[in-house]
Amino acid sequence: MSNLLKGNFTTKKEVKKPEENTEKDSTQQAFKKAALNSIGGSMVYVERTDLTWDGEE
Amino acid sequence: MAKILFINPVVREEDVPRHIPYGIALLAAIAMKKGHLVQVYDANAHRLPLETIVEVCQADDWDAVCIGGLTTTYNYIKKACKLIKQAAPKAQLIAGGGFLTSMPTEIFKWLPEIDVGCIGESFETFPAVLEKIDNKDFDYSTVLGVIHRDLTGKSFLTPVRPNIHDLDTLPWPAWELFPLDIYFANSANLFSEESFTSKRRMDINGSFGCGLTCKYCWHLGTTGDMLIEENEEGENDVVFTYGRNIRYHSPDYIVSMVKHLYDTYDIDFAAFIDENLMTMDVASKGTWLKELCAKWIEAGLQPTCRQKGIPHDENCKGVHWNGTSHAGLHRPDTLKLMYEAGCTHLVYGLESFDPYILRNLGKGSNARKNKQSIATCLASGIKPIPNIIIGFPEETFESVRNTINALIELGITAKPHFATAYPGSEWYYAYKDSILAQYNGDLEAYIMDLGDASKITATISQKFSPVQLLGLQQIVYLKELRLLDLSEQHWAPVQQHLSPVVEPKTSFNLRPVKEAGPLAIKVG
Ligand code: B12
Ligand code: SF4
Repeated sequence: MSNLLKGNFTTKKEVKKPEENTEKDSTQQAFKKAALNSIGGSMVYVERTDLTWDGEE
Repeated sequence: MAKILFINPVVREEDVPRHIPYGIALLAAIAMKKGHLVQVYDANAHRLPLETIVEVCQADDWDAVCIGGLTTTYNYIKKACKLIKQAAPKAQLIAGGGFLTSMPTEIFKWLPEIDVGCIGESFETFPAVLEKIDNKDFDYSTVLGVIHRDLTGKSFLTPVRPNIHDLDTLPWPAWELFPLDIYFANSANLFSEESFTSKRRMDINGSFGCGLTCKYCWHLGTTGDMLIEENEEGENDVVFTYGRNIRYHSPDYIVSMVKHLYDTYDIDFAAFIDENLMTMDVASKGTWLKELCAKWIEAGLQPTCRQKGIPHDENCKGVHWNGTSHAGLHRPDTLKLMYEAGCTHLVYGLESFDPYILRNLGKGSNARKNKQSIATCLASGIKPIPNIIIGFPEETFESVRNTINALIELGITAKPHFATAYPGSEWYYAYKDSILAQYNGDLEAYIMDLGDASKITATISQKFSPVQLLGLQQIVYLKELRLLDLSEQHWAPVQQHLSPVVEPKTSFNLRPVKEAGPLAIKVG
């Protein structure tokens, strides 16, 4: 367990980072991320090969 | 010396943490340089339950707890402030950053727990506040650039603090106080092949400000864009202007910082968070970026793939980078040098391809330049990342058609953002009354609703309601001109009989004048 605080001195009390919740959590997290990614947000993609126009009008 | 705790609030909760907060990291470095005892709790990186704040606040006898971020961190900050005041009642609670500077008086009303706030640039204001705290003197009325309270809780703004003159006097950010492993694990992003394979990306900042005046944008009150003046009630308030103190770091400062990051943390990617690299380059008469690229290569930071002219792969050494560009201000010869030095992609806020919308936007670009920019950038080898918005105040079926036609012509697929009036921006002040009307008069509810503009909050489009904007977003994404034509046939006749959905107003808090806020006199 690592200290949650980072600084230039030692604090009176240490604040421990809780252990990561093993596999179950990470699958859940991965699923949530994948699901959210597939639903939304703004996105943009430039298809390089699609570009036939050379920039001059 | 004061014992201070920084809390970095959670931002963009739906995504993994990707950015070490540059402002907080700089302020932490400045505080340490002044001899203060500093700790950082990076709540955004750790994503632990909110209550962890209590434990953190009880870890020591803090003289000050400091919190701040952009407007969308407000939800977190509001909850955090309550817990901080309960768990560390003796500590002064200091706030700063965009969420506060854009609307200091409202924030001080909504968050009574905050004792003092730094308004705008805080490189000198923050240590001045710490010095007061160190002396147990909590009368902040003599400190420039703050908002503070009297014993009744009423808030006051002190006069604006001049921007610092020479950015190179700033220390490097205190990266070592942040959980870098978490950020490195989220280095990859989908903007270019090189950024997609990045394993150790870090943000860097080369400049402050942007000479342009896009109506949706805001410059944080840190770039000469802010004055403090008496309002109609005779009380000091923020006034945002078109004034700018354009300042950039010397290429030597930037390159030695990146070299340090490369040698110390083995970074493979540096992301410039500058508002707009090209306006800085113009301010330097086209010398800044060229010099930066030459020094980047000279310092051995040029990626192997660019040095040898071979495709990028996992064995590539050196530091790739990205930044922000501008359709009317980029120059092919500079872009070419940037590519050689390792630049992979540049974000272009094209926003629209409609001539009328672009003329009103304050971006200094037009449809022709916007179209041409994609080809010019691609020709250099750098990948352009265009940003598109719909729901402009002036949006019409015709303007959407112009945008779709250009997207088709250029081979761009974009799911547009919705035009959103973030506090501080010109849009916010022009449409504040309409925004309030859309939130039943509850401004705080609007602030709490703001996210990343991929959903509709308050509309500022004069012709379209949320229902239509949602449909138009999908139509732009699919580039479906047939559906656009059908929608127009159905709606355009009705629209003629409707009064505008929203109307702009003038506001005390916005003055479209070019005169910049104060800049400190050069010393030495
Ligand atoms: C990196 C960045 C992000 C990161 C977040 C980084 C982070 N951890 O906070 C990400 C990518 C998540 C992000 C997202 C968005 N961002 Co952003 N982002 C930036 C960017 C490019 C750099 C910020 C930065 O580090 N600046 C440099 C440092 C030195 O400045 P600073 O943080 O403001 O700090 C100074 C002061 O403000 C103050 N300060 C800051 N914090 C604190 C704390 C304390 C205690 C004190 C005393 C002082 C203080 O002191 C510092 C020194 O002067 C800025 C533009 C820019 N170049 O500044 C936009 C900017 C902050 N973003 C903005 C916006 C609008 C957004 C989005 C809404 C965009 C969108 N449409 O999607 C989203 C929000 C998404 C969400 N759901 O929350 C606006 C802010 C508007 C506002 N009212 O707050 C900005 C200003 C862009 C612009 N020009 O309009 N962003
Ligand atoms: S060009 Fe970019 S940084 Fe400059 S005002 Fe417009 S949106 Fe803001």
